[in-house]
Amino acid sequence: MRVYGGRVHRWTRWPLRITASVAALLLFDQAVYAGQFLAGTFPALHTHRENATFAGIAVLVAGAAAALVRWPGRGPVWPLFAFLGLFGLIAAQIALGFLRILALHIPLGVLIILGGLLLAAWSWRYRPAGEPS
Amino acid sequence: MSLSRRRLLGGLSAIGAASVAGIQILSGVRGSSSTGELLPSRRALPEPFTLPFRVPPVLSPVRSDATGDHYRVTQRAATAEILPGVRTPIWGYEGQFPGPTIRSVRGRRTVVTHRNELPVPVVVHLHGGHTPATEDGFPTDLLYPAGWTGAHEPMDGVMTHGSRDYAYPMAQPSATLWYHDHRMDFTGPAVWRGLAGFHLITDPAEASLALPSGDRDLPIMIADRSFDADGSLLYPSLDPTLLHTPGVREPYGSGVLGDVILVNGVPWPITEVPAARHRLRLLNASNARRYRLALDPPAPLVQIGADNGLLESPIRHDAIEIAPAQRFDVVVDFGRFRPGDVVTLRNEFGDRTTTPVMRFRVRPADGPDPSRIPDRPAAAPAPAGPVAVTRDLRFRHGTVNGMPGWTINGEPFDPGRAVAAPRLGDTEIWRLSSDFHHPIHLHLASFRVLSRGIAGPGAYDHGPKDTIDLRPAEQASILVRFTDHPGRYVFHCHNLEHEDMGMMGVFAVR
Repeated sequence: MRVYGGRVHRWTRWPLRITASVAALLLFDQAVYAGQFLAGTFPALHTHRENATFAGIAVLVAGAAAALVRWPGRGPVWPLFAFLGLFGLIAAQIALGFLRILALHIPLGVLIILGGLLLAAWSWRYRPAGEPS
Repeated sequence: MSLSRRRLLGGLSAIGAASVAGIQILSGVRGSSSTGELLPSRRALPEPFTLPFRVPPVLSPVRSDATGDHYRVTQRAATAEILPGVRTPIWGYEGQFPGPTIRSVRGRRTVVTHRNELPVPVVVHLHGGHTPATEDGFPTDLLYPAGWTGAHEPMDGVMTHGSRDYAYPMAQPSATLWYHDHRMDFTGPAVWRGLAGFHLITDPAEASLALPSGDRDLPIMIADRSFDADGSLLYPSLDPTLLHTPGVREPYGSGVLGDVILVNGVPWPITEVPAARHRLRLLNASNARRYRLALDPPAPLVQIGADNGLLESPIRHDAIEIAPAQRFDVVVDFGRFRPGDVVTLRNEFGDRTTTPVMRFRVRPADGPDPSRIPDRPAAAPAPAGPVAVTRDLRFRHGTVNGMPGWTINGEPFDPGRAVAAPRLGDTEIWRLSSDFHHPIHLHLASFRVLSRGIAGPGAYDHGPKDTIDLRPAEQASILVRFTDHPGRYVFHCHNLEHEDMGMMGVFAVR
């Protein structure tokens, strides 16, 4: 397929789909581990803390994949900013968790997981312009 | 083509992600019944229900006169045959685990002279006692061994050497109390090694209640322990001398759980009982383990007493959840069984080795059963005065001296700083909240549970209490009356690893 000004790199969707899905899963896992330590399983607190780091890294990697969708993929740039914004929220979320400001930590966590799931869903629905649906 | 492949892959990965998340949710769905980590024994364990049950011996006073009943207890290292065929080194009151039972009569002063022949300082606390502050066993009021040549840590406490008296007024209702070590930073390992015993307060005025008595009144101290390959007690102390560095190695900072259930120091014992009512004084003397106790075949456990005394009316339970340091006095009617029947006390929170607790084999009764379950074991408590203060106390995991530990309102234990200063005679409401399981114990004062979560007291919260079983992420309110004595006392989590790692606070009654 040829588009004015250059080639659409359709393959760039795949790194995003994979990394965004992994990020969404790791973010959702935070709720799973939180539920477990609230049920009294002490080691789940440690897992919750460790997985926060992994989820943050996964969101950054997904952001890099979103950059590929834009360059060279010629797709929209907003997903890149969305993942970077999500990463910023995660940094704040980790700080709130360590400070035990749970009245903010829990609603923000719900928002972050929702954001991660929406971005992953978008990555699977996204089609470059000009591609037949 | 590309659309269907996309849909297919998208659908498959959604299913995959849902499965991964689902497995993780299901694997942890039961949560945990105790906060702690299992420390597995390193030797073969005996078969349950093969060793004979025993009741700890009752200590005789050395002297009884107008000043009260006087007892003498020597704390020393000894060995005990806990597992068949091997000697286990213990620390014991009179060299025994459990220590000898002391029976006080309500209203009669009791003086216990403790002599320390252990290689460490000790502190004796009478758990549930309404005791003057100097006699209560404040964690830094250390009794050093005679001839101590080691250092004396300046710890803001009263030091004695060799021996000292603990004088108890015993001006409190009859109850199942216990005494145990309470030294700051080292209570967990000291109790694990054996420093615990019953101290019962009886009331002659209660003879008319006709509760089961004599050899039908059985103190039952339940404690989990783990054993090393050589038969010694296994405990993950950072400093096995118990002198310098407090704490346990990871991952046991959340609590140490053993895999052997000892009843009065015997692993999973068995005993014969006549087919008649028995009073079982259940005490959970475990460091961190919670139990849900039930009989098999099912039979009611009729609760007549709580930590600090008898109930106003008996409560029939099918099972009893008991947190560390709590006591439940229950009556079990073995008369409902036939001679030859076998009745097992089980822990429904247990796993393979920690489910069995002990077993009763029923034999014919040797006569009529004169006992009964009274409708009103105790009079209702006097109505509470107006609430002077409401306090919020948050029991949480946190950082203690740069290490993972346990805190109250964000602070670790400081013997020199009072978290609360109630006035003598005042009634207060304490609102407690938790992150994990925290059995919260108040010295001096007995309390009533007002609420748990958004409901009233739970099934196991009734009666006069000194320890409340706070479950993870739970709030509870208790009504505390600071009567009897002014002075400096502690309240703390009775998960002993949490206590040793900071979860204790001072209240100073003015």
